[in-house]
Amino acid sequence: MPNTKEYPRKKEGSKIAKIVIDRDLCIGAASCIAVTGATFELDNENKVIVIDPNAVDDETLVMAAESCPTKAIILFDKNNKQIYPK
Amino acid sequence: MDINRYKYLIVGGGVAGTTAAETIQQRDSAGTIAVVSDEPYGLYSRVMLSKPNFFLGKIPFDEVWLKGNEWYQKNNIAFLGGKKATAIDAKNKIVSLADGSQISYEKLLLATGVCARHLEVPGADKKGIYYLRTLEDGKAIMAAIKSAKAAAIVGGGFIGFEMAELLKMAGLDTTIIIRESYFWEPALDEDSGRMIEKALKDAGVKIIYKAEVAEIIGKDSVEAVVLKDGSRIECDMIICGIGAGCDLDSLKDSGFNVNRGILTNEYLETNLSDVWAAGDAAEFKDLILDETIQLGNWVNAHEQGRIAGLNMVDKKTPFKFVSFYTTSGFGLSIAFVGDVRLGPDRIVVKRGSPEINSYARIIVLDKGNRKEVEGATLINRTSEMSAIAKLIESNIDVSQKLNELGDPNFDLKML
Repeated sequence: MPNTKEYPRKKEGSKIAKIVIDRDLCIGAASCIAVTGATFELDNENKVIVIDPNAVDDETLVMAAESCPTKAIILFDKNNKQIYPK
Repeated sequence: MDINRYKYLIVGGGVAGTTAAETIQQRDSAGTIAVVSDEPYGLYSRVMLSKPNFFLGKIPFDEVWLKGNEWYQKNNIAFLGGKKATAIDAKNKIVSLADGSQISYEKLLLATGVCARHLEVPGADKKGIYYLRTLEDGKAIMAAIKSAKAAAIVGGGFIGFEMAELLKMAGLDTTIIIRESYFWEPALDEDSGRMIEKALKDAGVKIIYKAEVAEIIGKDSVEAVVLKDGSRIECDMIICGIGAGCDLDSLKDSGFNVNRGILTNEYLETNLSDVWAAGDAAEFKDLILDETIQLGNWVNAHEQGRIAGLNMVDKKTPFKFVSFYTTSGFGLSIAFVGDVRLGPDRIVVKRGSPEINSYARIIVLDKGNRKEVEGATLINRTSEMSAIAKLIESNIDVSQKLNELGDPNFDLKML
């Protein structure tokens, strides 16, 4: 059973409807936090949590997902289709 | 011999070099870009190499690849893999490769990372001794773990810590040999070090302090390690994490200013025109600390790659970033933020304690009329890392806030 946490996103005009963090893959490298500290933070287990799924635009969110060295940030569109990683 | 020409040439295919290539391509899609790497494959997750889940096969091996061939092709980035750069003629803007070919450039980025320091004792060339830098190193360790029974780890830092968890999960008898008197001295204080040691020992890891390897014994393969005090540790596998650094003599001969790394200003520019450096290889001017430092972590390399890329397309941007590194294992999560060095003008404010298994140290610089947070070490308080990073970056005066800093129940975001 994958150890994931889902965060629905309701940003106006966004193609991304859901942010998922895979806590087994997350190693706390925190490069996503470097891209957008308004969206992501670390919890006390050194795993990333989403504090505000609507804080930034799609481009920045994708950049954050792409910066992750373990591809632990997974993005889905309104039809629950996985946008990233492709 | 034909010379290949590229507008942008990047030597180094890791996260700094690749992020630079990506940044450049987004802003100058017409400019030709090439990435030269001494490894044969594109960007992979070097940090994943020391994570137990990956090593022990819980994460599929192919997850390690971050950029596939299609990405390079789609973005028109030429990837020249398995090629080592041997000389740089910065005056004529030509890089020579080990296979005899040459590449001419308009702008050059050196993102060559750092090299794992090797043991230099009798027997250091035996089979069964491992370092961890490349994917090939990782694969070799993954294979060795399957049959090894007892492992010795040399070095009490990140590699040692992460490898210890991995080896215990794989069921090996594990001993860590460190030169210091406690784990991670002096980056951590003794209380923090002992917290980590307790977790290691509770998991069955043996730790030998103030010890150094004198000799490695065995026929072709490792059979034991002999320490300077004469004691002997039986093992059939050794993993070394004893520091990082490269021989930069050839760069020095090419006219570069080097120290432990390639020296740059805050724009990641080296002393030679149209040459930048980024990532682990760069010893750069840090605007927040107002010092020249060298860092070795993923997020720094990623950010420096991006900033170097911007500077290379003439979007002059200083690198100003509070760096951090985190690791976890044995039920602990550990984070280092900013500059954790101690000094006569530094005060340490403690938050929490080993007794409650949640302990942070905030390093504050005493400038006399003001006090500023410079760095922090956090054990099991990684949720505070972002707030502390902001305090460091903002350089706010915390002279009147020392009580709040030291109160583990006070939310640092309020400062």
